[in-house]
Amino acid sequence: MGRYVLNRLLRWIPSVLFILLIVYALVFFGAGDPIKLIFLQAPGDVAYDPVRIEAIREASGLNRPFLVQFSDYVIHILKGDFGNSLVSGRSVNEMIKAAVPVTFSLGLSAIAIIAVIGTILGAIAALNQNRWIDNLIVGFAQFTWGIPVFVAGPLIIVFLVLVLKMDVPFGWGGLFSPKVIVPLIVMGLNPMAIIIRQARAGVLEVLSEDYIRTARSKGLPTKTLVFRHILRPVLTPVVSQTGLLVIGALNNSILIEKVFGLPGLGRLTENAITRSDYPIILAIVLIFSFVVMTSNLLVDISYPLLDPRAASKKKGED
Amino acid sequence: MKRTILLAMCVLVAAGTAFAANPLPAKDQVLNIAQPELSQTWSPFLGGGHVARWQSLWWAAPMYFDKEGKLQPYVLSKAVADSTFKTWTLTIDPKACFSDGSPITAEDVKGSWELCAVPSTKHARVDLFLSGVVGYNEVITGKSKFMSGIVVKDKSTVVVTLSAPDPIFNQKIATAMIPPVKISQARDANGEQKQEWWHPKNKVVVSGPFMPQSMDLDQGIVVFVPNPKFFGPKPKLSKIVVTSVVDPAVATLMLQQGKMDAHTELITPTIIEDLGADFVSGPATAKGQHFWFGVDKAPMDDINVRKALVMAINPADLAKAAFPDGPYQLATQILNKVAGVDPAYENYKYDPEGAKKALAASKYKEAKNLPKIMFVGISTPTHEAAAQYIAEQWRQVLGITAVEMKSAIDTYSGPDQKNIQIWRDDVGTRVPDAVSYLVGSIHSSSGNAKKCLGGWKNAEVDRLLELASTKAVDNPDRIKLAQQAQKIFRDQYLYIPYYYDIMSKWAMPWVMGMEKNDDWQVIEPWNIYITDAKKK
Repeated sequence: MGRYVLNRLLRWIPSVLFILLIVYALVFFGAGDPIKLIFLQAPGDVAYDPVRIEAIREASGLNRPFLVQFSDYVIHILKGDFGNSLVSGRSVNEMIKAAVPVTFSLGLSAIAIIAVIGTILGAIAALNQNRWIDNLIVGFAQFTWGIPVFVAGPLIIVFLVLVLKMDVPFGWGGLFSPKVIVPLIVMGLNPMAIIIRQARAGVLEVLSEDYIRTARSKGLPTKTLVFRHILRPVLTPVVSQTGLLVIGALNNSILIEKVFGLPGLGRLTENAITRSDYPIILAIVLIFSFVVMTSNLLVDISYPLLDPRAASKKKGED
Repeated sequence: MKRTILLAMCVLVAAGTAFAANPLPAKDQVLNIAQPELSQTWSPFLGGGHVARWQSLWWAAPMYFDKEGKLQPYVLSKAVADSTFKTWTLTIDPKACFSDGSPITAEDVKGSWELCAVPSTKHARVDLFLSGVVGYNEVITGKSKFMSGIVVKDKSTVVVTLSAPDPIFNQKIATAMIPPVKISQARDANGEQKQEWWHPKNKVVVSGPFMPQSMDLDQGIVVFVPNPKFFGPKPKLSKIVVTSVVDPAVATLMLQQGKMDAHTELITPTIIEDLGADFVSGPATAKGQHFWFGVDKAPMDDINVRKALVMAINPADLAKAAFPDGPYQLATQILNKVAGVDPAYENYKYDPEGAKKALAASKYKEAKNLPKIMFVGISTPTHEAAAQYIAEQWRQVLGITAVEMKSAIDTYSGPDQKNIQIWRDDVGTRVPDAVSYLVGSIHSSSGNAKKCLGGWKNAEVDRLLELASTKAVDNPDRIKLAQQAQKIFRDQYLYIPYYYDIMSKWAMPWVMGMEKNDDWQVIEPWNIYITDAKKK
């Protein structure tokens, strides 16, 4: 297992470098440099003076060849320095340090809630197959699956404020602040549908297994049957979805943090992309890549722990 | 007795009128402002953007224009030119001081203006104010850090030498975009801006009526409190909180709930319905929105095509498409709201037949031979409606079908970025002067001519405006020459007039004293207060 993890970790290095190169090239050759954007995006009487812009680019080191800038950037990253924002001059390390806890605590909480509630609801639906409760849960899952986050977020706010006359849930007061409840709901609605459907399908599959029939015929109480024999194998497909949930949570954070005024990586990303501020974009891409790769690795490691058959299969292959 | 009663009644009526005009202030004098971006820098040397809109809260301008458009002293008590208008002597008000009580000195003025021009500062509009100063070009191109044309005569006197006569230099520097700051705090040993020197954690000292108490740049919350050492009138507000609220729908709800009192710039299609007409109301400003043709791109290099495109548009219908509910002010000539608006200006006429003839007379002959026409700057629903009306008119009148419109230049893919022919953008002036307005709009050195007009240059227009610039403000030739330049520009069919802007206050009705200048900054921030109407 240790060797397997080490191999996976070593494979990250070229992957990360490749991702960085691609993203660097995209922002470098694609959207244009941020200095030009300062002048091009500014309205009205801002003088678009190519000579001056070139002087600013030179002062910012942006007139150097692509590979020189990229290698310089990589060297700085190896030293743990993400550089400074090209627009504001702030240290990217500081900005990331402040934003990471917000996004991660919110994302992990959302994933935990989604996984637990989604699995329970999926199991309840399966155990009551074709009854009203099953229809209700599946209907709810279908409904939430059809509403993207960028629609759900503003709609929920409008409903809370205009219908329920509540205050706008805005800003960050820590993970245990009531302000976080609504963003967590919005973050969880759509992906929870996947977990519900996955868990329901998994439980239905397990219910038709011979060993469940045997256990039932032996008179095992339903509670023990569900928690000991049904839920455990169901967890494997649910956990495999968690990797996708992490990616979804990161994507959704961009919109949710913007709408609810949360000072996390998502809002920082949106801000940096609109300004082509690529030291920030690259740092966030690097963090997102790291998170996605780590979550995939954790999912892989967790398979044998959740399902002994996977471990023995792996041993047999080895 | 009767006389006494009459007098008492008069006093009562006068008091009542005064009360009605100036509602009583509320007890809680905290102004909450929604900022539509996550502002990561609050440097006073940005020269634009949303942060600069609140600059007058904490930085005193060299001079300023009051509500009536009259030039008023501020940090500078006097700005006097010699007879050639090339040398200006600026005198600092002896009362002018920073929030630590230290006086604002001539070194601070000189150093601040030099720092504005240093490339790494990235000041977006420094050229509007200081480009005429001797030595400016050396600093702006990075060859020097100091302007030889700014000389410190003594602690409170600065002598500025200009490379050409400029009778309105004193008006140009009447802006908080180039505020004198404590230069020892802002500039490092290399002559560049120190990182985050403007942050309260670095104990910044300021010159305006308010000073920053805290700045959480990650959360996007900045708190200002009154500056106890401010050398002007005492501010009425006890606190100002600027919070980053990026989503316009959320900002609208917060304004409706009274959680926010003002917004930096809120543009939504339903704004009047949501927040009332008063929220966006304001006086007309010397600024116009137009669709500009870039002459360096085909087919705008052909005057007959330009003529056809302009004549196919009905100005009244264009305005109606963009502002179906009003209010709007239809644009005609470039100049507006300054002395010098030309009463004899001949507006472009809607003439579909003339448009067809002009296209036939062009080298392209027919619509099918024209390249795809691309718009940029179509960034709001209002502009979308206007651009769509234009495209539809061109289709109906001229048969043009290949038209594309996008919000920003970077939303076009690589090759198309270089071929955009039409920019929706504004032009205006920050000083009430027709020559300054046109120099910033149609002179070949202007950002508008370089960017939106594709480097358009007309020697006669340049000559007339340069000559006009040297004439004294009260010389009638100054305006006459400007109008001549505008006439030549008009005959080139280089733009589709759109509308003139108003200076929206973007504040709820209970906020008083929010009148803004042409920099979109509050003119007299010490006069802002919240009325009791907020409770209701």
